[in-house]
Amino acid sequence: MDTLVRVEKVSKKFCRGLKRSMWYGLRDIARNAVGLRSVSTDLRKDEFWGLRNIDFELKRGEVLGVIGPNGSGKSTLLKMLNGIYWPDAGWIAVGGRVGALIEVGAGFHPMLSGRENIYVNGAILGMSKEEIDEKFDEIVAFADIGDFLDTPVKKYSSGMFVRLGFAVAAHCSPDVLLIDEILAVGDMEFRRRCYNRIDELKRKCTVILVSHNMFQIGRICDRVLFVHRGRERFSGPVAEGIMAYYDVVHEESMELSEPSRSEGPVRLERVSHQLVKNRLEMAFDMVTEPEAAGEPYGLSVTFMDASDHLFAQANSLFRNKTFLGPGRIRCTLPVLNFSHGMYRINLMVYDAGHSRLHSMYRNLFSFQVTRHHVAGASIHFDDAQWEMEMKKYREGG
Amino acid sequence: MVNDESGKHLIIHTYEPDNVLARGLWRVFPAIFLEVASNRWLTFQLFRRDFLALYKQSLFGFLWALVIPLVSVGTFVVLNRSGVFRIAGLSVPYPVFAVLGVAHWQLFSTGLMGAANSLVRAGPMIMKINFSRKSLVIAAFGQSLVAFAVQWLLALVLCAVYGVTPSMWILLLPLLLLPLAWTTLGLGFILSILNGIMRDVGNTLGVLLTFFMFLTPVLYPRPAGGLLGRITAFNPIYYMVSVPRDLALTGHTSEWAGFGVSAAVGVVIFMVCIYGFHLAETRVTERV
Repeated sequence: MDTLVRVEKVSKKFCRGLKRSMWYGLRDIARNAVGLRSVSTDLRKDEFWGLRNIDFELKRGEVLGVIGPNGSGKSTLLKMLNGIYWPDAGWIAVGGRVGALIEVGAGFHPMLSGRENIYVNGAILGMSKEEIDEKFDEIVAFADIGDFLDTPVKKYSSGMFVRLGFAVAAHCSPDVLLIDEILAVGDMEFRRRCYNRIDELKRKCTVILVSHNMFQIGRICDRVLFVHRGRERFSGPVAEGIMAYYDVVHEESMELSEPSRSEGPVRLERVSHQLVKNRLEMAFDMVTEPEAAGEPYGLSVTFMDASDHLFAQANSLFRNKTFLGPGRIRCTLPVLNFSHGMYRINLMVYDAGHSRLHSMYRNLFSFQVTRHHVAGASIHFDDAQWEMEMKKYREGG
Repeated sequence: MVNDESGKHLIIHTYEPDNVLARGLWRVFPAIFLEVASNRWLTFQLFRRDFLALYKQSLFGFLWALVIPLVSVGTFVVLNRSGVFRIAGLSVPYPVFAVLGVAHWQLFSTGLMGAANSLVRAGPMIMKINFSRKSLVIAAFGQSLVAFAVQWLLALVLCAVYGVTPSMWILLLPLLLLPLAWTTLGLGFILSILNGIMRDVGNTLGVLLTFFMFLTPVLYPRPAGGLLGRITAFNPIYYMVSVPRDLALTGHTSEWAGFGVSAAVGVVIFMVCIYGFHLAETRVTERV
């Protein structure tokens, strides 16, 4: 197996001030113009390392997921692999053609037809005329734009536009494919086809995927590189990488996700919770204003997971359970199926008809579930029953 | 050595600090040449895109290229007839002379404007996809060649109207245009980079070019003396415009020396500018 990507001790620095950054740039260009090297390994005033000492190697057929919070240097890494930025230290070697699913529909002109834009876009992505001619029908079929092929793309729906852009990029037969958070677009059917296409491509090339979607990472990648503030925090198997990512990100998102509330006549005075043996026990001390004293109300507890998705809830009204007046409401939930990670709780107080929201509490509290394994999904059925019935083969049949 | 699936050797790209110097400074020009040569088809596609887009969106299409020469030449014809501005000593009818002058001038000015704005117009694409940015600049310059051709056709029509027979030199026109083309393209390269850094460049360029046009004898014959005469002697664009024009209309010119020197100056400008562009493009891209 041949190595297609080699990244050795690669660093990249940026400058905080725009004017100073331009000035440094001019100085570096001037030094280069007379054959001198820029002094790239020292930090000048206002400069900082955007990416520091990144190392990895990829062979054909391998898929690397690059994960990390926003601003940690993931896109910078892709740009360096693509040759858009030069590293300031270290060395990168990339074999063969680099394809990028980064800016779909690059160079599309709204006035030109889909047919004309396929050629422009293909040329920008490095395809030759013969190559586009050969793959033209495949691209059109994949984009599924039907009779719109000869219509100016400004008349396209945004979905069609993205599909056509993706279709061209996905057919440029790269040796190294860079993907930056692209699969968030399109409808479900199209996303499914994108995944299938990437599965096809990844057998023939090496893929580097940047994503915040851990499900995608788990679905596609063989390995992950977790970068945080420009440095490698973890490099290795997918599950461990995602676990490391969750631990760091959640620590940080806890700081960011300040509790917020909007309160009405029925409101929460105090909340307490404890995690006892996979059971989450909560107690809500409720108070009511005189105006709502005679009105029954219900509580809804919602759970947000790592990716800030609402993935579980408990609503007393769905169980026809209502409460009246002030008092302590206890709620106990089994959380034994939760995967490793940090979870945040929101609370909503509704009237009995579930039509009026009295009060709402975002990020009321959070709790950590610690596990030895990381699942791609937020729920893992620990108590799933597994059985196998041995098939009886006739010997010597 | 890395091979692709069919066992073919793959090109390996390496990136390191000061990547442009990686293979030595003396390899910069071959690298530039190779890049431009291997991206011919991309350049053509970008040119074709802008060409089609421009003419699909307007009613008169490329006939718009005729508006500027007709208006400016018309203005000068009126000024000439009314005696405000006397143009004498021409061996060909003034409109033919002026239209050809404007055509050459426009090749320079619109070519320069187009090239200077090419990188900025491409937008975020140049920061996300690695493709030859030189193709963008060349393709933008290419648009002004189309306008030039259309304006030349207008000149030929005027020749027929006024009974002027062009000389055989017009067959060599593409060759005679080269100095103007490479000077424009060279300046366009460097201006596109500067425009990326400071948008003021694109904004002021139009004003400067208008001013420069009246300073350059394209709509009137070269003044014999005075300040303008002295400036003109050192204006390479003047020679690049007037020599092809004189040769096409009369078959002779008295300014071969100036043309030769200007062409050489143009070559130097082109080399220096494209060298600067090549060294600067990556560092500028990451800063815009």
